Amino acid sequence: MVNYFVFLTISTGIFAIFALGLNIQWGYTGLINFGHVAFMTIGAYTTILLSMQGVPLLIAVIAGSLLAIVLGLLVGFSTLRLREDYLAIVTIGVSELLRLIAQNEEWLTQGTFGLQNYPLPLGEFNPNWLSKGIMIAILSAIALFAVWQLKQGIQGEFQTRKQRQKIARFPLDLGIWGILAIILGGIIYFNGVIALVNYTYKAGLMLLILVTLTILYAIVQRLGQSPWGRVLKAIREDEQVPRALGKDIFWYKLQAFMFGGAIAGIAGAFYAWQLTTIYPNNFEPLISFYAWTIVVLGGAGNNAGILLGAVIFWTYNSVTRFVLPNFDWIDDARLGAFRLLVIGLILMILMIFRPQGILGKKEELTLGR
Amino acid sequence: MVDNSRPLQESATLTQDTSQSSLLSAQGLSKSFGGIHALSNVAIEVKAGSITGLIGPNGAGKSTLFNLLSNFLTPDTGEVLFDGEPIQQLRSHQIAQQGLVRTFQVARVLSRLSVLENMLLGAQKQTGENLFKVLLQPKQLKREERQNRDRAFTLLESVGLAEKAYDYAGALSGGQRKLLELARAMMTHPKLILLDEPAAGVNPTLINQISDHVLRWNQEGVTFLIIEHNMDVIMSLCQEIWVLAEGKNLARGTPEEIQENSEVLEAYLGQ
Repeated sequence: MVNYFVFLTISTGIFAIFALGLNIQWGYTGLINFGHVAFMTIGAYTTILLSMQGVPLLIAVIAGSLLAIVLGLLVGFSTLRLREDYLAIVTIGVSELLRLIAQNEEWLTQGTFGLQNYPLPLGEFNPNWLSKGIMIAILSAIALFAVWQLKQGIQGEFQTRKQRQKIARFPLDLGIWGILAIILGGIIYFNGVIALVNYTYKAGLMLLILVTLTILYAIVQRLGQSPWGRVLKAIREDEQVPRALGKDIFWYKLQAFMFGGAIAGIAGAFYAWQLTTIYPNNFEPLISFYAWTIVVLGGAGNNAGILLGAVIFWTYNSVTRFVLPNFDWIDDARLGAFRLLVIGLILMILMIFRPQGILGKKEELTLGR
Repeated sequence: MVDNSRPLQESATLTQDTSQSSLLSAQGLSKSFGGIHALSNVAIEVKAGSITGLIGPNGAGKSTLFNLLSNFLTPDTGEVLFDGEPIQQLRSHQIAQQGLVRTFQVARVLSRLSVLENMLLGAQKQTGENLFKVLLQPKQLKREERQNRDRAFTLLESVGLAEKAYDYAGALSGGQRKLLELARAMMTHPKLILLDEPAAGVNPTLINQISDHVLRWNQEGVTFLIIEHNMDVIMSLCQEIWVLAEGKNLARGTPEEIQENSEVLEAYLGQ
């Protein structure tokens, strides 16, 4: 059970990072990127191929992320001047292009045989009690940071509502969200502590992912609230306005595209480390839509929503994977299709009753242009 | 249809300068869309410190001229000088950075941002607009943000929107959006504001308010070029008026001269 929760935490963390990148591009800036997995492909293959040549993992990840930025620059520079739907078409094409290159350039990627036996972070690491203690301390620090962020977020939201709707009492739904978040965080934390005590490779990877996610979340959150994020949101709303106010909208879109890509590149490295063998098929367009599902579920432009969306997505994913086979009315072949079908259904229901996403703001939908 | 046989030297005579220095001057501006000549060989001049009007019947090319001056559209031919420098090779956001800021015919606000955020977007040269500086210079960012908020609140108070600062801009009425757009343009510390129909679709009380704001800001040193169909507004605000018709310069003069100009009357009322 502990190991299973570790697996869930890892998957959630990777896709939360991945979707944070998409959130910058779509949630903040309004860029429709249907090929987000392209950045992940670049990040994963670059990291793995470099590390197989003996390059230290940290440098390999940075290189992967930089190459993802270059990809973002190339794709963005050639398409961001076009209307937004063209970007959607081009990005999905680029992601397939990269997957097919990975499949066919066997001298580099071994094609469909996949890459195996590559170096893993903390792979040879055998912690003694001291280093276990340090790791648990790091995990605790993350938990404290999360609690602080939660408090900030809830207080900020309360403040905004006070200013906007003139309410005086603390709203119930914020309290419920707070309690839910603490329960959820508590499960991840205590499970993480147990996993670190009985150290396995996956527990180390989990810690590494949580550290990375925390850092990236803090950065994205700060950028989102900064004047930089304000320009991005302005572009999403109506790009002629920031243009008339002296903002270089093309450059900002490009930055958003590259920055979101860099984050997805980092997610790619962790994805490869979790899988421990990678095949081109791991990078199908479906992965991009996992990220879209997460962003839409959680609420576009809301980083905390992204975390929630990732948790819900992977909880659903694992519950259906392990609970449904216990019923004999469905066979394995149909199960996979059934799970996707239900996800589609959930999204449709969400779009009807809460189109702004779970943590999105309802008022934002009713505003005229 | 545009009459191409008409002699064009008219626009040359129109641009003869008087003593006062010009902040914005454009010559020979032309723009066609497909076969339609939206503007041909148009000139305009805005004197520093003035409020200048731009009028003409519907379809005369007034908004197109604004788009060309601010480079939202690239002119086919012509030259634009702003503050003595040619600007037509600059990109539109660079022109705004030089202090030439435009507004839109239908007020454009960023609906899902708060009124205050709309205002803050107008501030120029913000440290926090650089991705790396956001992370590396948090103190500088905070200080600037505080200054910008102060200025935003001062401006919002002057146009009577301070109470709405934290509301979504999309929740504002049409007239309030016009006010917000004006105040947002002021946020950039502009030298010249191109106002596109500030009084359109606005109730008479608010029209008076907008006129008052324009006059006050003009006294504080901001130059205005205003497109407007409301003749009371134009005649009371402007020192000089340019008239466009069918994509060409028709006349320029003081409000009194324009009111008595038979060609202008003809263009508006038809022969």
